[in-house]
Amino acid sequence: MRYAFYLGCATPVKALKYEISARNLARSLGIELIDIPEFGCCGFPVKSMDSFAAILMAARNLAIAEEKGMDIIGVCTGCTAILSEAKEYLEDEKLREKVNGKLKALGVKEYRGRVKIKHFARFLYEDYKPDRIRDKITTPLASLEFGIHYGCHYMKPTPAHGQFDDPANPFTIDDLINITGAKTVNYPNKNLCCGLTIMGTDEDLSFKLAAEKLECLSGKGVDAMVVACPSCCIAYENNQKLVGKKTGKEFSLPVLYFTQVIGLAMGLSEKDLGFEFNRIKADDLLQ
Amino acid sequence: MYSYLLDKEKLKCCYQCGKCSSGCDINRLDGSFQPHRLLHLIGMGATDKVLKIDSLWKCTTCFTCSERCPQGVKITEILWLTRAFAFKSGCIPELAVIQRDTLLKSGRLMPVDNKKREKAGLPAITEESDVAAQIFKIAEEKEQIL
Repeated sequence: MRYAFYLGCATPVKALKYEISARNLARSLGIELIDIPEFGCCGFPVKSMDSFAAILMAARNLAIAEEKGMDIIGVCTGCTAILSEAKEYLEDEKLREKVNGKLKALGVKEYRGRVKIKHFARFLYEDYKPDRIRDKITTPLASLEFGIHYGCHYMKPTPAHGQFDDPANPFTIDDLINITGAKTVNYPNKNLCCGLTIMGTDEDLSFKLAAEKLECLSGKGVDAMVVACPSCCIAYENNQKLVGKKTGKEFSLPVLYFTQVIGLAMGLSEKDLGFEFNRIKADDLLQ
Repeated sequence: MYSYLLDKEKLKCCYQCGKCSSGCDINRLDGSFQPHRLLHLIGMGATDKVLKIDSLWKCTTCFTCSERCPQGVKITEILWLTRAFAFKSGCIPELAVIQRDTLLKSGRLMPVDNKKREKAGLPAITEESDVAAQIFKIAEEKEQIL
């Protein structure tokens, strides 16, 4: 099982605990995540600037993976959505021809539309299969309760991702976490956006969105929020104190990546799961 | 590209039911952002007016509206691409300019700190930093399909 590991921009800079835990979890499960030095930006930030440049950026990454004969596993929901969207648009032959003409100038072979893109959690759910993870659980997390935040781009837009999950009532990451023996709660604003994409253009609005979910999950008394995207983690963990301050509330909710939770249940060490980088210490939970 | 992705025929399918705005969490928190109104203006060809509407930049691109639309209009996509139009015409927030400049300079939205990565036991990232700049240049050379 060899896959092109698409890290994106945010994970290797802002989410080292995610990268460390994803790499070590994959290793423990026998999934080979291959680093591709040539990968560049997915095109997400460029879409608001130049839509053609954005699709060229995405197509370049797809073509690079295709040339190496590997499907893509991503860890950022934004990157996987943008790459999947590009794949959807590039099914149009005329557009693909136009894009391929430009890719040559970048020293990349043509994109033929064959590469598949999946978020790591989706891959575990659909391809690796939860049952195979269940066999590897050594330390069940039966006493713990989590609130899952999926991240909008994990399964939306559905024309690009396909209907592998239900945007109105998502379940795939809940199912993965439940394998560890931990409970996951249903909560009213489960599908609320983290708001990070507008932090730079309307900070107040962005923080209001983040505060709503933090408040709801804190009220539920969960041990932690579980996320699957570096941007969502920035919104809920890195910004948590600031969000509290700006909205007149006080939060102390640990935020973990799904890779950290599954890894814990498989007996991986705190170091191998990057817990030293968790800003809101999850010490109670780790005991 | 814009016309291709906008799928004008689909845009005409919008019968202004408002389901996009009523399900939008940004609209709930800030009434100035009304996807159905933006869509109406774009559909009427009043794009110049839309470009100057500040709330265009309040969309988080969560895709809830697109998923809810009974007519299958790709609303998020349309608003997103309208931003690219706004960008070209200079109606842009400062942040977008900073992001573009960072991308042009380092090839990434967030410059990598390889020393910190090494300390954490992670491999160095060595990609070519001028790819983004090259792509912006190549994209500009295209025939006018926007």
